[in-house]
Amino acid sequence: MEAYIFNLVNLIAIYAILAVTLNFIMGYAGIYSLAHAVFFGLGAYTSAWVAQNVHPSILLTIPAAMMAAAALSLLLALPALRVRGEYFVAASLGLQVLAVTIFSEWKSFTGGIGGVLAIPPANVFGIEVFKPAHFAILSVVALVIVMALINALVHSSFGRNLRAIHDSESAAASFGKNVPMIKTISVVISAALAAVAGALYASYLSFINVESFTLDASVLVMAMVIIGGTGTVAGPIVGAALLMLLPSLISWFDFLPQTEIGALQQIIYGLGMTLLMIFRPGGIVGRRAKA
Amino acid sequence: MLAIQLAITGLQTGALYALTAVGFSLIFGSTRIFHFAHGATFVIAAYFFYGVFGAGLGLLPSIAAAGLGAVAFGVLLDRLVYAPIQRHEGSFFTVFVASFGVGIVVQNLIGMVFGRGFVTVNTPLSRSVEMIPGVYVSPLAWIAILCTAIFLGALQFFLRRTHTGMALRALADNPELVRTFGLNPRMIAATAFAVGSVLVVPAAIITSATTGLNPAIGHHVMLISLAATIVGGIGSVSGTMLAGLLLGLAESLALLVVDSQWTEAVTFAILFAFIIIRPAGLLGRATAH
Amino acid sequence: MTRHFTLAGAIVSLACLAMPAVAEEHTIGAIFPLSGTNAVYGDVFMSGADLAVEHINADGVLSGPLSIAYEDSQALPQPAVVAMTKLVNVTGVPYTLSAFTGVSKAISTLATRNSVVGVNGGGVGPDLAELGDYFWNVIPLANLEMRAVVPFLVEERGLKSFALVYVDDPLGDAMHEELETILPEVGGELVDSFSVPTTAQQFSGVAAQVRASGADVVYVASYGNQQLQIVKQLRDNGVDAQLVAYSGYAVPDALALPESEGMIITGQGVDFDSEDAVTKRFVEDYTAKFDRAPTAYNVNYYNAVLVYGALAAAIEAEGGEVTGEALLEARRATESFDLVGGTVSFQDNGTLLFPIQVKEIRDGAAHALTSVTFD
Repeated sequence: MEAYIFNLVNLIAIYAILAVTLNFIMGYAGIYSLAHAVFFGLGAYTSAWVAQNVHPSILLTIPAAMMAAAALSLLLALPALRVRGEYFVAASLGLQVLAVTIFSEWKSFTGGIGGVLAIPPANVFGIEVFKPAHFAILSVVALVIVMALINALVHSSFGRNLRAIHDSESAAASFGKNVPMIKTISVVISAALAAVAGALYASYLSFINVESFTLDASVLVMAMVIIGGTGTVAGPIVGAALLMLLPSLISWFDFLPQTEIGALQQIIYGLGMTLLMIFRPGGIVGRRAKA
Repeated sequence: MLAIQLAITGLQTGALYALTAVGFSLIFGSTRIFHFAHGATFVIAAYFFYGVFGAGLGLLPSIAAAGLGAVAFGVLLDRLVYAPIQRHEGSFFTVFVASFGVGIVVQNLIGMVFGRGFVTVNTPLSRSVEMIPGVYVSPLAWIAILCTAIFLGALQFFLRRTHTGMALRALADNPELVRTFGLNPRMIAATAFAVGSVLVVPAAIITSATTGLNPAIGHHVMLISLAATIVGGIGSVSGTMLAGLLLGLAESLALLVVDSQWTEAVTFAILFAFIIIRPAGLLGRATAH
Repeated sequence: MTRHFTLAGAIVSLACLAMPAVAEEHTIGAIFPLSGTNAVYGDVFMSGADLAVEHINADGVLSGPLSIAYEDSQALPQPAVVAMTKLVNVTGVPYTLSAFTGVSKAISTLATRNSVVGVNGGGVGPDLAELGDYFWNVIPLANLEMRAVVPFLVEERGLKSFALVYVDDPLGDAMHEELETILPEVGGELVDSFSVPTTAQQFSGVAAQVRASGADVVYVASYGNQQLQIVKQLRDNGVDAQLVAYSGYAVPDALALPESEGMIITGQGVDFDSEDAVTKRFVEDYTAKFDRAPTAYNVNYYNAVLVYGALAAAIEAEGGEVTGEALLEARRATESFDLVGGTVSFQDNGTLLFPIQVKEIRDGAAHALTSVTFD
């Protein structure tokens, strides 16, 4: 039972990192990305590669994952500078689909659908961390650090600039703000921190494959942010916890027929998304209505 | 020979893409609702056809069931989900999330009712006939192309020659203008959903006999529709039509150069390139900002 | 034309849940596709495993009642790893049934790391034989199937040029490699091969290429819905070559497809008419319970559960605790097992050997053409 709870804590913490980093660009910069799973995936593959071929120390795997994701995120920054709204959503969608194809085909790096097997456990200062209870310390600490970083950023002058851009891009530009630079930096930071979640995920599950990094995963993370409350501090965490707990909660209902549990879980997930958007579009934590 | 064959195959695929994409484009262009559940409309139409046809009730009742199912779903979704959201908040992203949720619900409900396996409507019409040596075309390919021409022709007539159609085109630019002409914008929006949903019906029926169905098929349909809408230019029905055909052709002809697992990537590379280089699309006037 | 066993599966699982909980109960895990596009396999697998549980409990083989904790893999590696984590850490099972090549490979790391036995009775990727001591197969793998059918086609039927349509995953890749190796050995030739992504549904373009390759034989290596779509679209688009598939094609949906007529498929040869007690009881009870004849898949998971019953009973007889380590040790100490299809032994790599049948699909059913035995 204990192991089960810690297992959930780990998954929630990892997805919460993704939600918090996506919320950073969605809630503060107004960049609605459907490609967040790309950076999650790249982080996971990169750290798995480093762990298997160089050394499984998190002092190596996590920075490598972050750098790879930061570099790739420039591709996402490109449309973010050119277009807004539905065009950007479509562009990020395009990037997501392209990335899934590459994750499936670049077999020497990703293992394709077969995935990367036997990824070594995370090595923290010489100690191998793989039991759910021990890993929970690592994942929660990582989440807290990521949140603290983002919180500090949001309350700095950089954060004020972001909000100015969110409210009115042209006004911000006329105040002499370097809008393209600020947008690019925020995308890079978000992607790099999302890769931290990828690195943790790879070492925790010891197996990764492309299915964890598809459009569905991007939508799941986006749903966490929106259901929790876009642009709030607690929202993404609440959303991540809720959506990760949902399958476990449903699996306790023993009276449901085995073969329909998967479908019912999906229906509840879909219905929840829809109803929440109708009755509480600001999310659970968010304000009732948005300006 | 292979190139000709692939071009014909691509044309058939493209014709069906054009139909579904125009449906999405019409809804999106006039109401600005990011109707991601358009793929679910396709699934509903296809399975209603399959269910009624499989029960042995004949072709016409099956087509009617598919049409009614699609229209009812589109219009009800607009009334029950999109309208309340738009009333208190206009963000297209909120609508998108709600719509995505509906898509998941429909996919799983259809799976529970009709089974999650592969189903197909058996007809001799899906069997290809050798037209010239080495080039095979099935009767359904001609039907697909003919249906596309008829439906899109009728749509152009509707949009250019009827009051409702013209109001529909005006809705996106200026809802107030529509109101001053004594028309109710909500009614016009409902019309957009009805017409947009009807357009997927022929594509859904033909697909049920060619590639066959499973509940997850709506996903691909939706992604292609979105890509065609953007590549064609938001708000341009003719542009979307053209883009749908081109994407079908590109997907098929790409096989001459790459393995089939790269064809989807080709579609989305085109999309990505268009957004970066020419966000207004093939025939679009609107700017992206 | 499509048959579904959802209701039957539901009733079976409800029946399982209704079983009383006793202190010394045995629980084994099973990671099957219960939702998603491959859920049809889950129902097939469950029916065999559940029947074995009934028989073991009715015979009082173990000290307490045996039950199976089912988890949903959707036939995908990722959900399977999550399910395996739960089975290992929470349910605490010593023995887990698994299916599908990708799924089995994905959970094998956890199986080894936690000393839990994983048993595959559905996946046929040849590399499943190399997943370590804790991963066993109670099914002959696809390399055997290819080694049976390819010589048959080349030598008996005189069909020499092959084209391969294979799914882009570990199973498909392994089949591709295997075919490339075998064909030259028997004087055949692989003229072209086409990999398709796991999610693809549209194959008219691939069909055009297959036709252009002019092959005598088209080997289809996919599974689930996709293999049916490939076969239908190949036929629709004017491919009239001999179609061949492996045991994954032996599901009711596929056999019932009109386009399957005349296809050649392979599969594990199970002699259902055998006179031994285990086989007779299985065939009779299975037919009575599910009102249809059993297939090899039902047999494999029935056998997988019987193997657990035999090993756990042996461990209990010596007063030991039933753990993964104990099961592995007991298996190594056991000479042979009386299973459906005869008395068989595990090879050192943890895989059972069965003869392979080459069958032809006629009128919606598979009819044996020949049987090939391996040493």
